[in-house]
Amino acid sequence: MNINALILFLFFMSLSPLTWPAREIRAEELHLLAGAGLRQPVDELIDIFQEQTGHKVLVDYAGSGNLLARIIASGQGDLFMPGAFQYIQMLEEEEMVDSYRRIVYHTPVIGVNLDKASLIRSLEDLARPGVRIALGDPKAMAFGWMAQEILEKTEIKEEILKNVVVYGATVKQLALYVAQGDVDASIIGRADAIQYRDRIKMIPIPDEYFEAEIIAIALLRKAAKRSEAIQFRDFMSSAIAIETFQHFGFLPIGEAER
Amino acid sequence: MKGLHRLCFIALFLLAFLVAGVLFALIFRLSFKELLDSISSQEVLFALRLSLLTSFGAIIIALILGLPSGYLLARRSFRGKAILDTLLDVPLVMTPLVAGVGLLFLFGQTFLGRHLARVGINFIFSPWGAVLAQAFIAAPIIARSGKSAFEEVSPRYEWAAQTLGLKPFQTFFLVTLPMARQGILSGVVLAWARAIGEFGATLMVAGATRMKTETLPIAVFLNISSGELGIALSCALILIAVGFIILLILKQIGNNHRHGLPMKGIQ
Repeated sequence: MNINALILFLFFMSLSPLTWPAREIRAEELHLLAGAGLRQPVDELIDIFQEQTGHKVLVDYAGSGNLLARIIASGQGDLFMPGAFQYIQMLEEEEMVDSYRRIVYHTPVIGVNLDKASLIRSLEDLARPGVRIALGDPKAMAFGWMAQEILEKTEIKEEILKNVVVYGATVKQLALYVAQGDVDASIIGRADAIQYRDRIKMIPIPDEYFEAEIIAIALLRKAAKRSEAIQFRDFMSSAIAIETFQHFGFLPIGEAER
Repeated sequence: MKGLHRLCFIALFLLAFLVAGVLFALIFRLSFKELLDSISSQEVLFALRLSLLTSFGAIIIALILGLPSGYLLARRSFRGKAILDTLLDVPLVMTPLVAGVGLLFLFGQTFLGRHLARVGINFIFSPWGAVLAQAFIAAPIIARSGKSAFEEVSPRYEWAAQTLGLKPFQTFFLVTLPMARQGILSGVVLAWARAIGEFGATLMVAGATRMKTETLPIAVFLNISSGELGIALSCALILIAVGFIILLILKQIGNNHRHGLPMKGIQ
């Protein structure tokens, strides 16, 4: 056997473990499509789920609208967990949702750069002349249209809109602008403000101004691994999951509403 | 030879089939009316205009910075040249989103950013941010292709021109540049294609403000996110069409020049 053939043989030998059947025959692979803003709690929960059940969960993180378009176009995926409940409803209209579980609230807050914390203490302060505000695009992202709803309910919508210097396409982009001081304030998720707690001060928005967004997980009708997907759906709405989400700044949903 | 050509033909056919297939898949998602409505909408027209303007501005800046850099790298050797040369490639391997965050950090609330803003140069959250982001990606491509184009031109022509009485600047513009234009032009094509399709860096630096910093790629993203697939696909198709036309024009210019090159005989 010449040396090249030997090298080739060794190379293919080294690949062969990839083609061996998985040791645990019952371990399945699930495909989850999740909103990019949910990454931290979801990653942590997937680790726990994998340890408990042996099933693997592959996640695609992206903007929820982007994921929605992908699911509709491809019909692929087992579970869908967008950053706003509306996306599940849109998928329901396409008759692609089997069932869903509500998990936690995604609550909007005013995130203020720490250096401007003395200047901006309330929703009304956003209308002060010279304040620089970033908002989400009103159509493309949940905290974008939520911000518009909130502004509609104030008397000072026009004044606040005058202070908007930029619109963003993702909530993490807005949080980064506030944290960096490129803008003074933005309307972002409570979880995003908590992620940057060393640079962003969180100012709550009174309840009457908004209806909090609901994070839910949907089982897709065409899920390939149905029973494992149901298992994961229920795990994501279990007490331990809700506790993990709370740790990252999401608020629990009352029993009655779930 | 025949067998080889047949194999190559199969490869070419597969490649063309793939590209055409992607195009048709996009087109068939749209009804003609949807396409027409989108194309005549204010938002799409704005995005088209902004994309053309910003990418054009970016290419001008990229040429001003990239060509002299490429020329120097081709003609001179100096200490640390290898490192500098490699440094210029960094934007090409950087994820655009990371490049955008880096530009935001550099030109945002920093000494540099604040002083530029004071004299009226504001990149952050303005259409100029889109120009900056695109130029950042485009300039290294032009420097790189410029360098290899200048390397192809023997310095003997420059020496000869200078002994015949041309000043260094004249030599560059009358001899070196025309002889290197083919390579430079293909660099411009590549750089322009990257610039007009640039998304991640523009998003971070300029933001995604509709009708202000909304380039075609940003419009595609915003409208996919808001479920308006019709507008998104129309923008994508316009982007492709504009790209196709400009690439064709640039290639045509390149070909004409090649045929009419006065120095073709001595090259």
